[in-house]
Amino acid sequence: MQKWIRNLKPARCLALVLLFGSGPGAMAATGHPELDLGIARFALATGDDAAALWYTNNPETEHESLIRARALLNTGRQNQAVALLDRLIDGDYYRGEAALLKSTLMVKSTLTDGDQNQSGRTRLLELASQKGHGDIRQQAFFHLAEMARTNEQPERAGQILASMDPGYWAALGYMNIAADYAKHDLNPSRALISLRVAMAMAEEDPDRARGEALKAQLLVRAGLLAYENEDYDKAISFLEKVALESYSTPQGLYLHGLALSAKGKHRDAMQSWHRARKYPLAFPGVAESWLGTGRGYDMAGYLGQAGEAYLSASASYDSERVTLRKLADLIRDKGAFEALVTGAGETQAEWFLADSRMLTQPRSAYLLRFMENAGSQEAVRRVRDLDNMLDRMAQQERTLTVFRGVLKERLADRASQAAGISEAFAANFDALVRRISSARESAIPGSDSATELRQLALTLADVRDSAGRFGARVDNRDQTLGGLSAKVGSALTSLERNRQRASQALIQANAELDQRVLTYVDSEAERMTVALEKAEQQIAHLYEYLALQNLDRSAP
Amino acid sequence: MVGIHPAVRQVEPYIAALQGIGKLMCVLALGFVLAASITQVENAQADTAQAEELASLDREIEAIKSDLASLSQTLFELEESVLYPADTQVAVFLALKDKNGLALDSVELYLNGSPVSSHLYTDRERESLRKGGVQRLYIGNLPHGSHQLKAILTASSANERFIRREVRHQFRKRPGESRIQMTLDAAAPDYEPVVSFQEWK
Repeated sequence: MQKWIRNLKPARCLALVLLFGSGPGAMAATGHPELDLGIARFALATGDDAAALWYTNNPETEHESLIRARALLNTGRQNQAVALLDRLIDGDYYRGEAALLKSTLMVKSTLTDGDQNQSGRTRLLELASQKGHGDIRQQAFFHLAEMARTNEQPERAGQILASMDPGYWAALGYMNIAADYAKHDLNPSRALISLRVAMAMAEEDPDRARGEALKAQLLVRAGLLAYENEDYDKAISFLEKVALESYSTPQGLYLHGLALSAKGKHRDAMQSWHRARKYPLAFPGVAESWLGTGRGYDMAGYLGQAGEAYLSASASYDSERVTLRKLADLIRDKGAFEALVTGAGETQAEWFLADSRMLTQPRSAYLLRFMENAGSQEAVRRVRDLDNMLDRMAQQERTLTVFRGVLKERLADRASQAAGISEAFAANFDALVRRISSARESAIPGSDSATELRQLALTLADVRDSAGRFGARVDNRDQTLGGLSAKVGSALTSLERNRQRASQALIQANAELDQRVLTYVDSEAERMTVALEKAEQQIAHLYEYLALQNLDRSAP
Repeated sequence: MVGIHPAVRQVEPYIAALQGIGKLMCVLALGFVLAASITQVENAQADTAQAEELASLDREIEAIKSDLASLSQTLFELEESVLYPADTQVAVFLALKDKNGLALDSVELYLNGSPVSSHLYTDRERESLRKGGVQRLYIGNLPHGSHQLKAILTASSANERFIRREVRHQFRKRPGESRIQMTLDAAAPDYEPVVSFQEWK
């Protein structure tokens, strides 16, 4: 009997089941709201917006609506998203989050205009700050404080900031308010106090890396402010705390050197400048550090070394101008996106190379500096989005072409259509049922064989069910396949049209980015020229001084 | 009648000439001011035109994005219909029960001994699972009957142990879509991973 079962299992059952189980199935979301929500949530978090939309096709709960609204926003369907957000704002559970999302849309002023926009946004942010939790609430407070600050109501902004929890958003708010105080006040106290509060807030940021980067930036700002107000000790105490691995380090080192130099500690100042010189010239403070080294030697009385330092500064500026010229040529030749963004090792494929050394690569440094500007970020985002979209369209086209081929083959396969359930098959099936029944009778109840036979009987029952539905499926086959084929055809047509539009838009976006990057590279080259001229002037002064000294010495 | 002083008469031509130069200077200055204003207006117009051009480009990108999303949805639907017919479809999902007990590194999935899926987790995916996300690890076709699912999970636990576990689950593929959810739990204090299977009908 065992042998008989072994023969029966794989060969026959699987063949039978595969034969019957190939009807097309209209897949809806799973039909289990809890499962659908979980899948949609994961899909949204991992950037699969199509799946997120699919699993929240008929949102029943507020959570599903929120996920759908986010996916709609990601895929450029703002109007549909706003309708869902409006419903959520009037709902029970996600009022704060929906209000914050809608207020972000209003920044672009696409929904309303002018004063209406301003008051509408304030209302939404107030709602988000009242009904939201955690990060949502803090973000809402931050934006409210920013609105008050930009409307020249610093006291109101201060009050809002005072009501916030410590963290990233509060730190940003205090940093901005400190910048305003620094602009308007003759005395730096208010600005410095705000910066100190901002530092304390940044330390509480749960995202450690983000908090530390912000803190380094705050320390550099505080150092600069103290230096400008001739409080050199305070400046040094701030600048000493700038982390060595941060983006603000080169500028911090330069300012640290300046403060030390102002106190007459030229040797210590030169040590800081020497460290700053190890960074690419693109970063603020590095070009000045090269000059500062020469000046440090000069002030310390080492005129020979001062001359050498100025000469090496001059050579480095000159070589940087060559680098920038080559970069500009590369941009004109290959386009800015490839020359600067892809070429700087910022692609995902090279993620494993990305580490702190990125800060020491000139091209990465220029890219980082260029990307500090919001307009530049937008220009790069446009090209990247279109590039990604074209890649996805190419993938989709390949898949759809394969589908079209498969469906065409299935439609042309008339033989299998006419096949149906043959009499031989039915007879074979009945024989199998009888054999299993007789085997079950002879099997010892509770034994492994009996269990296995029971399972086989159940599977055969499933096969019988599928076979029962087979006739109806065969009748609908052509219609179903035809429907799918038409869908594939129309998707391909639509894809081709979108591809042309995306290619056209990419040309325009690339041209805009190229122009922007070239302007930036030209301005950097100009900065190097100015630095070079300064170095040459210093050399001229030094030689003039040395010549006059020689004349004095040789005078009788 | 007051006569004109001869000295004044002598310098009159020079004064006239100077007045002429003054007028010329005025005209030139006016010209410069006008030219500067025109340049300013032209620059402002150029800036506005460029901003409008960029706004229109952004609108076009959003429209393409929206159309592409519709296409992605159609393709998703077609994939489900063409590749995974309902009667033979099997999908395996993964969820976390204890949100902080484990940080998943990787999952490998085997069906009847054959590897069908493997996944290395990013921080973003871990975070999503932690917040209640459910990952579809595998979707494919299986014939009716008995099958074995094997999963190999590697993770680091909250008590900083590296964990590798192999779990097996026997199931029977029945007509209609089959959905199997693996739920991973690792409760304090020992954070020992426990995997449970649930079949959604």
